[in-house]
Amino acid sequence: MTQPAATRAESSPFAYPPDLAGRLAEIVGAQHVLGRPSELLVYNSDGLPGYRRQPRLAVFPGTREEAIAVVRLLAEEKVPFVPRGAGTGLSGGALADDIVVLGVHRLKKIISVDVENRRAIVEPGVVNLKLNRHVAAHGLLYAPDPSSESACTIGGNVAENAGGPHCLKYGVTLNHVLAITVLLPSGEIVELGSGVGERDGYDLRGSFIGSEGCFGLALDVTVKLTPKPQAVRTILADFMSVNQAAQVTSAVIASGIVPAALEFMDGPTIRVVEDSIYAAGYPRDAEAILLIELDGLEAGVAADLETVRRICTEGGARDVRVARDEAERMKLWQGRKKAFGAMGRLAPHLIVQDAVIPRTKLPEILDIIHAISEKHRVVVCNVFHAGDGNLHPNIAYSADDPAESERVHRAMKEIMQACIAAGGSITGEHGVGLDKMGYMESIFPETSLNAMCELRSVFDPERRSNPGKVVPIHSCREWQALPASRRAERETPPLEAEPSRPVA
Amino acid sequence: MSTESIAAQVKESFASHTPLRIAGGGYWLDAGRPVRAEKTLSLRSETGVTAYVPADLTITVRAGTTLAEIAAATRERNQWLPLDPYGTIDGSIGATIATASAGPLASSFGLPRDLVLGLEFVNGRGEIVRAGGKVVKNVAGFDLSRLLTGSWGSLGVITEITLRLYALPEVDRTFAVELRGSEKQIASILRAILAVPMSPYAFQLVGVSIARALHLGEAPVGLIRFAGNSAVVTAQAAALAQIANCDEAESSKWVDLRQLDGDSHTSLRISSLPQRVVGTAARILGDDVPGVFTSIDPRRGVIRVVAGAAGAAHASTEFAAGVEPSDASQLVFEKLPAELWPAVSPSVVSDPLSQGIKKAFDPANILNPGILGDIN
Repeated sequence: MTQPAATRAESSPFAYPPDLAGRLAEIVGAQHVLGRPSELLVYNSDGLPGYRRQPRLAVFPGTREEAIAVVRLLAEEKVPFVPRGAGTGLSGGALADDIVVLGVHRLKKIISVDVENRRAIVEPGVVNLKLNRHVAAHGLLYAPDPSSESACTIGGNVAENAGGPHCLKYGVTLNHVLAITVLLPSGEIVELGSGVGERDGYDLRGSFIGSEGCFGLALDVTVKLTPKPQAVRTILADFMSVNQAAQVTSAVIASGIVPAALEFMDGPTIRVVEDSIYAAGYPRDAEAILLIELDGLEAGVAADLETVRRICTEGGARDVRVARDEAERMKLWQGRKKAFGAMGRLAPHLIVQDAVIPRTKLPEILDIIHAISEKHRVVVCNVFHAGDGNLHPNIAYSADDPAESERVHRAMKEIMQACIAAGGSITGEHGVGLDKMGYMESIFPETSLNAMCELRSVFDPERRSNPGKVVPIHSCREWQALPASRRAERETPPLEAEPSRPVA
Repeated sequence: MSTESIAAQVKESFASHTPLRIAGGGYWLDAGRPVRAEKTLSLRSETGVTAYVPADLTITVRAGTTLAEIAAATRERNQWLPLDPYGTIDGSIGATIATASAGPLASSFGLPRDLVLGLEFVNGRGEIVRAGGKVVKNVAGFDLSRLLTGSWGSLGVITEITLRLYALPEVDRTFAVELRGSEKQIASILRAILAVPMSPYAFQLVGVSIARALHLGEAPVGLIRFAGNSAVVTAQAAALAQIANCDEAESSKWVDLRQLDGDSHTSLRISSLPQRVVGTAARILGDDVPGVFTSIDPRRGVIRVVAGAAGAAHASTEFAAGVEPSDASQLVFEKLPAELWPAVSPSVVSDPLSQGIKKAFDPANILNPGILGDIN
């Protein structure tokens, strides 16, 4: 099932200029340009297993000036490229199929922190958790907290509009980015949004966030910082049925309380975490647990805690426990945040799926997922952001076993279809990338896909930045208008893989 | 009417190159730059709730539905849309979203684009386009709903909107803090209030003219709204009382404040770094020009100036002329006498990216042409 990477070079529609590597090395230094297949192995995948694409070259600028020079050289030579942060993405969005990887991880300066006005300006390669540690001394935090926070970059977070458990209350990346200096694929620099006030006109900042690397590269990002809450309480409620936990989730949301986070883990996930080094003390025999965090002012949190406790108990919770201290709280969270890592114990490969459903459909969808997993004889571990209906059904499997891979692929497809049928979305925080492109037509009419294509063309008329991702090119008006004889040379067919298809 | 019939009208206008003036409730047609269109496309009859799932805290409404109608429908289920733009509550949700109009609640609940989950619109070719979805978290594809929000009808005719709702708070109380004293004293009271860990739903400083109009006295006032469970409201009210002299005020003051915009000729806002705005608040609020209403959202860093009478428009534009848009602030006009626009703010969409977007979504330039300025 592997796409033979080697043949791509011949069929590539992009004519590579001679000695591109040498000219890039003049800008960034020879040690920051990789061209040998063995060196590029690390960059041939991202956090999504099953997909491998071999880049032609990888280049890592160390300063803003170098990044600008690199992009301008690529523009001059019309070379396509893929911006890449830490490569922790889960949608295949950072894969570069015989084109240039432009890694931003060396651009990791925290340029300034304005404590009084609660904002910071950072380079795109700054790691999410590093920013948080940096501002913690001032009683501030950067709210979006994807599970990969210890590795993922702010630039990547902006590209994916990353979320995390705490975005239930605090919002996703979009709600925390005020301005971005963008290096367009043409090499021009534009300021989107404003760090010192609210602009009018079109929300170009909002368009760029979540554009999955297709609109250019962020050179710096002005983020909003949030004061640390006065009080935090973390509750662990356990249930003997998945359905009860799902009903309690709905009841908490309907009560009007906005928890900082409301996370769900099912039995298989609990047990795999408890078997791992991340054991958090979750009850092994439970069929589901909810991790509910409340934060805010001391008085308000105390009152909400009693309401949540009552809802859980009335909803059939066997036990409701509140973390006694920070150490216990961190332990409960570590189990949740490292759950994906712990699943590595089950099998060599893991698909972390991402879909969203209306919150009221939670009990129904969890039943359907269970039925699908039985039908295809796969083990689904559900660990997800229940508070906003953002599911992560995960399947651990061996991509080396073609029969198993096929079953996994079918199960995932049926799960996605069930979420779409429930009125949901195909992705809540991981992005479309390569993986979900095949589903775009099932949730958007052609006119919407067309509008997306056109929006992209405004930022990147040559479609050189992360080509072949997010929106299938055959949905674009411009492409449809081409005579059939010319379409073949414009489309990049091997990038349109089957959704979620595990590739050995 | 239906989305299809609106699409048919736009399609016809696209074919005949007939510019259209897009109107919601029609209450705010003098806002924005003069529109060069003879024909009006009204969404006034496009009303009603299409879908409301209280337990999901989401609602889908037709664009002509008024804010008052949404408030009534959601109140029955003890929920609300925390979106309080200045002006009448009979204004439509479509116009509110198209103009991204926000009010005092924005510093807690976000700007209109933060409350929009998805929308349906008709582009300048007369095609029906759907953006976003009906779920509270969604990153599928490029974000068209944010782009349409605040585009003033110039990229598409918004026909239907899905919004995020919140549960009504158990307790909702408003307090008024009189801001008397020297500029220095007022600034220090404000800093003290902002330094205390409080999370008011709204905190608005109003100048003398507004205080007088709202019957709150003859000095600038800080209006602060605490809501949530009763424990959190009581604790915050007590904390506030420790810092400043405050009296409880009727919550209707918020509606009164919004409605002062009613017959304004000019309205503008200056936004900057919150701390900078707090530093100049006392001076700005102390200016007592009859007919000019000044208010400040200290947490959002926004100063708003509204001139209620024709004569006062002059004073406020002079005020604005003194505030050059710079690295340190952003100046945004909502309403101005028509003749002032070309001089004060000819266009906010003349940059290449905005031009490209306008051309892609409305190639014949028939949707509200000129409202955000010329595209080239």
